[in-house]
Amino acid sequence: MGFVRGLKCRECGREYPVDPIYVCEFCFGPLEVAYDYKKIKRVLTKKNILKRDKNLWRYKELLPIDGEPQVGLNSGYTPLVKADNLAKVLGVKELYIKDDTVAHPTLSFKDRVVAVALTKAKEFGFDTVACASTGNLAHSVSAHGAKAGFKRFVFIPASLEPSKIVASLIYAPNVIAVDGNYDEVNRLCSEIANKYKWAFVNINIRPFYAEGSKTQGFEIIEQLGWQAPDNVVVPCASGSLLTKVWKAFKEFKEIGIIKELDTKMFAAQATGCSPISAAIKQGTDVIRPVKPNTIAKSLAIGNPADGFYASQVVKESGGYAEDVSDDEIVEGIKLLASTEGIFAETAGGVTIAAAKKLIQQGYIGKNDTTVVCITGNGLKTQEAIVGKTAQVHSIKPKLEAFEEVLKNIR
Amino acid sequence: MKMRVKLTFPQNLIKEPVIFTMSKQFEVMPNIRRARVTDTVGEMILELDGQESNVNEGVQYLRDQGVEVELIEGDIVE
Repeated sequence: MGFVRGLKCRECGREYPVDPIYVCEFCFGPLEVAYDYKKIKRVLTKKNILKRDKNLWRYKELLPIDGEPQVGLNSGYTPLVKADNLAKVLGVKELYIKDDTVAHPTLSFKDRVVAVALTKAKEFGFDTVACASTGNLAHSVSAHGAKAGFKRFVFIPASLEPSKIVASLIYAPNVIAVDGNYDEVNRLCSEIANKYKWAFVNINIRPFYAEGSKTQGFEIIEQLGWQAPDNVVVPCASGSLLTKVWKAFKEFKEIGIIKELDTKMFAAQATGCSPISAAIKQGTDVIRPVKPNTIAKSLAIGNPADGFYASQVVKESGGYAEDVSDDEIVEGIKLLASTEGIFAETAGGVTIAAAKKLIQQGYIGKNDTTVVCITGNGLKTQEAIVGKTAQVHSIKPKLEAFEEVLKNIR
Repeated sequence: MKMRVKLTFPQNLIKEPVIFTMSKQFEVMPNIRRARVTDTVGEMILELDGQESNVNEGVQYLRDQGVEVELIEGDIVE
């Protein structure tokens, strides 16, 4: 028996039963999962959590499933790395990296959301799952869907580079390359999701899918010794992750796992696609859609579905936002790798570079405890840094050649 | 066909009857569900109902006027 009360419209508050629906029929507001926290409080205690396997399902009562977890049994519970070297460079006392570069099985935080989405898809009785993606989401749906025995459809723009498709194709999903511009792909997927009885993870399953992101927030609190940090820096694409990390913190307070919550939430975006950070900086509630132009492709959502809600969370928590150029993104990736030995994708470069700016500007205090969320592995976006890293020392196969090079290194 | 969209109006169009003109010119029935207007920008969530070609032409008309037209789902390709 689950702990979900139903779905609730984020705009008008109207309630709906648990079904594969995502939008309020009345005001077209997005639906969100609502829980019975009184019931959860009796079951989900620190003691019970600590007894469970170290994966994202250790907080299962706060995830929108009815039965037992079926997908992603090895996903989540990624390291929270105390980043002393990076902290020293940035001039802060206590800094942590929430390291989803090693999320299982496809090396990005999408393995969290997809694990929850596909477990829910099983419960709903779907035999086919689908998504539209240029990268991480496609990889995760393809892999998790293979293990769970789903038929899989992955929609991509036909112009997508072949190297990005291989990491999905290896799991043998049906990859549909749509010959059209970005808007046309979006529109087709919306039509398909409304016509076919499939679990389209980020459309009709979105309310459930998005809840998977909360596990990153739960883990941060657990790994910090059951307390919330002073600041969290989260990369924003649709804005969903930021809202869900915040929801996770609030839920842990609601059920008594933590007593205090005084965390500031910070949004990080690439300047080439910064509708959320622009709204926050300008102090407006209106998210103006943009045409993305950045190397941080996994954050390139010009019309973010949760942008408004993300900006509200930042405002409510007393945080701020920052955006960074492509050059700063590359520098951020290099800084994290050279100080902490963590190779992040371009989105991670965005978060590190934005955190650096927020520290320099004084939005993040030097004596605070700060967590920076790194959401994907750098092996996925190597093209962004080719030629911008340290260079190879080429030598002839002679000891003296090596020692000549060594002189310069020392 | 029915299309659910979010319209964002720039400041110079907030006072113009753009929706009415589109509706009349292309025989598209707008059904407004939610709106938010400030002194600098306007946002409207609505359903457009009509023949497919009319809805598409109506959307193009709105874009030509400078209104941003997006699906209410936001960008789906992630």
